[in-house]
Amino acid sequence: MLSRRTRIILSILVVASLTFVILDLRGGDGPFSSARAAVSSIIGGIQRGAATIFSPITGSSQWWSTQVSQSGQIRELTAENERLNSALVSAENDIVRADQLDALLRVASVGRYRVTPAEVIAVGPAQDFAWTVTIDAGSLDGLEEDMTVINGDGLVGRVLKVYNSTATVVLIVDPESSVGGRVAGSQEIGIVSGTGRQNSLEFQLLDPLGEVNPGDAVVTFGSKGGRPYAPGLPIGEVVDVTGTAGQLARIATVKPFANVSQLSVVGVIVKPPREDPRDSVLPNPPVATATPTPTPSSSNEKETAATPAPSGG
Amino acid sequence: MIIRQGLFIGTCVFIAVLIELTLLSRLGIPGATPDLVVVTVVAIAFAMGALQGATAGFAAGVLLDLSPSSDTLVGVNAIIYLIIGFIAGFWVDPRDRTLPIMIGITALSTGAAALGTAIVDTALGGDRVNWAEVPWITLSSALYGVLLSALIIPLVARISRPFLPEISVS
Repeated sequence: MLSRRTRIILSILVVASLTFVILDLRGGDGPFSSARAAVSSIIGGIQRGAATIFSPITGSSQWWSTQVSQSGQIRELTAENERLNSALVSAENDIVRADQLDALLRVASVGRYRVTPAEVIAVGPAQDFAWTVTIDAGSLDGLEEDMTVINGDGLVGRVLKVYNSTATVVLIVDPESSVGGRVAGSQEIGIVSGTGRQNSLEFQLLDPLGEVNPGDAVVTFGSKGGRPYAPGLPIGEVVDVTGTAGQLARIATVKPFANVSQLSVVGVIVKPPREDPRDSVLPNPPVATATPTPTPSSSNEKETAATPAPSGG
Repeated sequence: MIIRQGLFIGTCVFIAVLIELTLLSRLGIPGATPDLVVVTVVAIAFAMGALQGATAGFAAGVLLDLSPSSDTLVGVNAIIYLIIGFIAGFWVDPRDRTLPIMIGITALSTGAAALGTAIVDTALGGDRVNWAEVPWITLSSALYGVLLSALIIPLVARISRPFLPEISVS
C-alpha cells in the first residue's frame, strides 16, 4: 500500500522522535540545550514583535466591546473614530501597564527587592499541562536561573531557563512547583504546591497542630540566598482548610494573589533583600506582626480581623 | 519539488506555532488552547498526502518542544503529531473526503493530541497531568479544532496548490 520510500522516511521520523525523547529524559543540560537556545533566540525575537502587534487583542478586554459598539456608526466618523479609539486603547493599555508597574514598584520598594521589569510575551499551550510563560528579559538583562518572579499582586513563579533575551518562567500554579510558605502573623510554616488550576494552591502545614484559618495570608518563607524564592513575598490567601488540628495531613487551599492567567508586566528579583521583610509586603499587613504570643487562639482571632481579603490592586 | 514542498511545510508549521504560542494561548479562552498547530498539520495531510502530513507533524512537534514557554520533553509532541499527520492523510481515501469527514477527522485529531500528550507525559513519569481536567481539555480542544478547521483546511488546500505534483488525483 505504502511505497518503499514513504515507509523508510516514516520509520526514520519515528526513530528520530523516540531518540529525542530518550535523550531528553536523561535530564540535566542534555544535547538539546544548545538547540533550545538557538530556537528560542529566533522564536523569542519574533515573539517580541508579534506580542506588540497582538497587544490590542491580548492586552485589553475592553477593546472587543468598544469595537462591537462602533460598528453601527456612520461612515464619515469611522475613520476618525478608529484613530481616536486606537489612541484610547493604547492610552488604556498604558494606564493599565503604569498601574501594574506602580504596584510592582510598591512591592519592590516595601520589601527592598531589586527588581528587573519584564513583559510576558508568550504562554505555553494548556494542552502541555505545564504552566509556563516566556518573558522578554534574559541573561543580557542580568537574569539567572532560579530567580523569583513577582508582579504587583505577589509571587508569580521562578525563572526556569534563561536565554539571551528571553527567559522561561514556571508559575506557582504549575503542578511541579512547590514554595516554602509561612502564614502571615503567626509563625506556621508549610509547603505551597501548585495544583494545575489557576486559582488554587495547596498549602500543607509542617506542624499538624498548627493553626490556619480561612482569610489568613501566606507569604514566602524564603530559600537560602534568596533562590529560588526570596522571603516575604505575598503568595495568596487561605480560602479553605480541610482536616482538623492534629490530623496527619492538614491541607489548606490558597487562592494566589497574582492572577496568573492575566499576566502582563512582571518583575524578576535579581537581588533579594538583606533582611526578611516579614509581612510588610502584604496588601494589608497584619497589625500584630511577628511577636509570638503564648496563647495562639487569641492571636489568631486578632490576625483574621487584621488581614481582610486583598482588594485586587 | 521535494525542496519546495519542504519549505512550504516548514513555513506553514512555523507560522502556526508562532500564532499559537503568541496569540491563541494568551486570549484566555476557557479550556484548551485552540490547537492551530494540529489543525495545520491535518490540513497539510489532507492537501498533500500522508507522508507530507507526517513530516509536518514531526517538524511542528519538534519546534513546539524546543520553543521557549514549553517545558515538555523534546520529541513527545513530535511523535504524537507525526502519528496524527500520518493517520489524517491515510485514513480516508482522498476521493471520499467530504467537508464533514475532514472536519470530523480534525476534531478527533485535536482531541487525540491533547489526550495523547496527557498519556505520554504520565507514562514517562511526569506528575503534571491533572486527570480530572483531561476530559474537559480534550473536549474543548476538539471543539476549537472544528472551528479552526473550517478556516484552515480550505486555506491550506488553496495555498498548497502550486507545491503539488502536476499529475494529481482530482
